[in-house]
Amino acid sequence: MNRKEIWVYLERNQEEIEEVSLEILGKANELGKKSGMPVVGVVLGNDPGDLGNIALKHGADVVIFLKDPLLESYSTEDYTKALFEMIGKRTPEIFLLGATYQGRDLAGRLSARLRTGLTANVVSLDIGEDGYLLSGVPGYGSKVLAEIVCVRNKPQMSTVRPGIFNKTVIPNEAGIVEVVDIDLKDSVSRVKVLSRKVEKHPDLSRAEKVVIAGNGVEGNLDMVARLADILGARLGVSRPIADKGKASRELQVGSTGYSLNAKLVLIFGVSGAEHFLPGIANCQTVISINVDRESGIFEYSDYCIVADASKIIPILLKEGGDR
Amino acid sequence: MRNIIVCIKIVPKAEDMNFDPETRTMKRGGVENQINEADKNAIELSLRIKEKSGGRVVLLSMGPPFFDQYLKIGIAMGADDAILLSDRLFAGADTFATSATLSAAVRKIGDYDLVLCGEETSDGGTGQVPSQLAELLDLPQMLFVSEADIDGNSVKARRTIKGGYETVESGMPAVLSIELGINQPRFPDFRRKRWADKEFSLTVWSASDLGIKPELTGTSGSYTIVKRLTEFSTHQRQRISVAGTVEQQADKIMEILRESR
Ligand SMILES: Cc1cc2nc3c(=O)[nH]c(=O)nc-3n(C[C@H](O)[C@H](O)[C@H](O)COP(=O)(O)OP(=O)(O)OC[C@H]3O[C@@H](n4cnc5c(N)ncnc54)[C@H](O)[C@@H]3O)c2cc1C
Ligand SMILES: Nc1ncnc2c1ncn2[C@@H]1O[C@H](COP(=O)(O)O)[C@@H](O)[C@H]1O
Repeated sequence: MNRKEIWVYLERNQEEIEEVSLEILGKANELGKKSGMPVVGVVLGNDPGDLGNIALKHGADVVIFLKDPLLESYSTEDYTKALFEMIGKRTPEIFLLGATYQGRDLAGRLSARLRTGLTANVVSLDIGEDGYLLSGVPGYGSKVLAEIVCVRNKPQMSTVRPGIFNKTVIPNEAGIVEVVDIDLKDSVSRVKVLSRKVEKHPDLSRAEKVVIAGNGVEGNLDMVARLADILGARLGVSRPIADKGKASRELQVGSTGYSLNAKLVLIFGVSGAEHFLPGIANCQTVISINVDRESGIFEYSDYCIVADASKIIPILLKEGGDR
Repeated sequence: MRNIIVCIKIVPKAEDMNFDPETRTMKRGGVENQINEADKNAIELSLRIKEKSGGRVVLLSMGPPFFDQYLKIGIAMGADDAILLSDRLFAGADTFATSATLSAAVRKIGDYDLVLCGEETSDGGTGQVPSQLAELLDLPQMLFVSEADIDGNSVKARRTIKGGYETVESGMPAVLSIELGINQPRFPDFRRKRWADKEFSLTVWSASDLGIKPELTGTSGSYTIVKRLTEFSTHQRQRISVAGTVEQQADKIMEILRESR
């Protein structure tokens, strides 16, 4: 018997599952209930650990653990090969991945091998009346939402932006974890990882309060970081600051960075370019400080403050109790 | 070093685009185009590789005939050759059909060590083409690359991953996607631009030149379709202007911060 299934790729981050994978599981669970399809979390590695149970708690009906020593760490070609085989056997209807560096690397390669459609950086998901997955993608500077359908083949694939859906705990007594030994034998990977340097950053998309530094405060980054600190906020930056290597990519806000869900953001020296704006669209209160009265950022702000950041930040630091 | 093929897309400047809620289409009138920003970074990187390790830089773009003027800008930057894939059949391609068409052209150009793409386009913004292209060419892929060095027959690259970066290595040929903003693309050389406009003759290939089956290109080669476009309703902002001295403005910020707690 072949039941139609919704698959969710569970991206591993050492012993944990990436937040975005759990966010997608929650949404997939909702789509599953609507369409009668079970949700299957798929994770690749060598040691299942507790990953399966974590996924079962967050919306998966079933977890498949694809096990092989070669899958211990991520490689495009071995992961593609393993998933391609498994998808051939179980023919899922839908396959969702996080729009992370890894998720996008894998999804592109895999979709091409499967000869199926892939939609990128999705911000909304629904099942249409005809039963097809509708993947919503903001276009043209977030002026429109395009709903995209994969028409000619299965699975219907999409990568989903982090920080869009909410991770939820969904009790599930009957869930099972299937460990599948796939025996890849030899690695097909042609890319060798020589070294890796990563730092762990708490997920910016879930921060309550964020202070953002843009190009206009490039020379005052320390001061902005200090302000974030005393306000109990996280620091975020616009893309050019990350491009120049002055802050980690993990702090970048915008269409190629994080989408914030903060109650409050305080933005210094950002012009409000179309690729920046999706990053703050879901924030409750936006306060912007810019020297330029005409700056585009003010159109997307609740409080608009025309001021020189280098003058106002020292005062804020003092009022915030900085010594 | 053999050919370095750089895939570039010509994209509209997004701030010029406007949605017409009546007709549910984009108003494209008066829209200016440009080489996609990350693709300019890829061109710059290819020229630096060439300066150091040799080879020829060949630009490759799929799009309508008037894109030739933008390819000439790339020639004026220092690229050796440019090929435009233009055919009515190619219209309406999704990333897969685009990759299929580009892969046929890469094979036809041949004799290459590297295929460079931008990390993503500013209009479609999928970043899918580089990995789909790599799969169709059966080549290794390295995405979100910020540095690349040639060492004999292999390429060593630094690529961004979650929380940091990796140094990776593979044999050539390989497909790389280049991170936006990693270098300062050089300006087109004025004299070379004049030469490109007057004397350089661009190669244009159609579907039949590529020998690609029409059903693999354009709309018919696509696996995805845009079902509908709706106006994106984002949060309406209050846009309250906070006037006064800097001290008064700072006081107001502190007040909002206190209230939001
Ligand atoms: C495909 C693609 C993806 C992208 N993704 C992202 C993304 O995810 N995130 C992102 O941010 N960008 C992204 N960008 C880049 C984006 O287009 C803009 O270039 C970028 O957002 C501009 O950053 P900025 O506003 O900090 O700098 P600028 O545009 O340089 O603006 C600086 C602002 O600071 C103000 N200013 C100057 N001095 C002061 C002062 N003393 N006090 C107060 N204000 C001052 C200026 O008036 C100006 O408004 C992307 C671009 C592309 C093509
Ligand atoms: N029509 C095209 N012609 C040439 N290169 C393209 C085209 N479309 C995409 N690319 C390349 O693929 C990259 C990623 O594009 P995309 O997947 O559309 O975001 C671009 O930066 C280009 O290098």
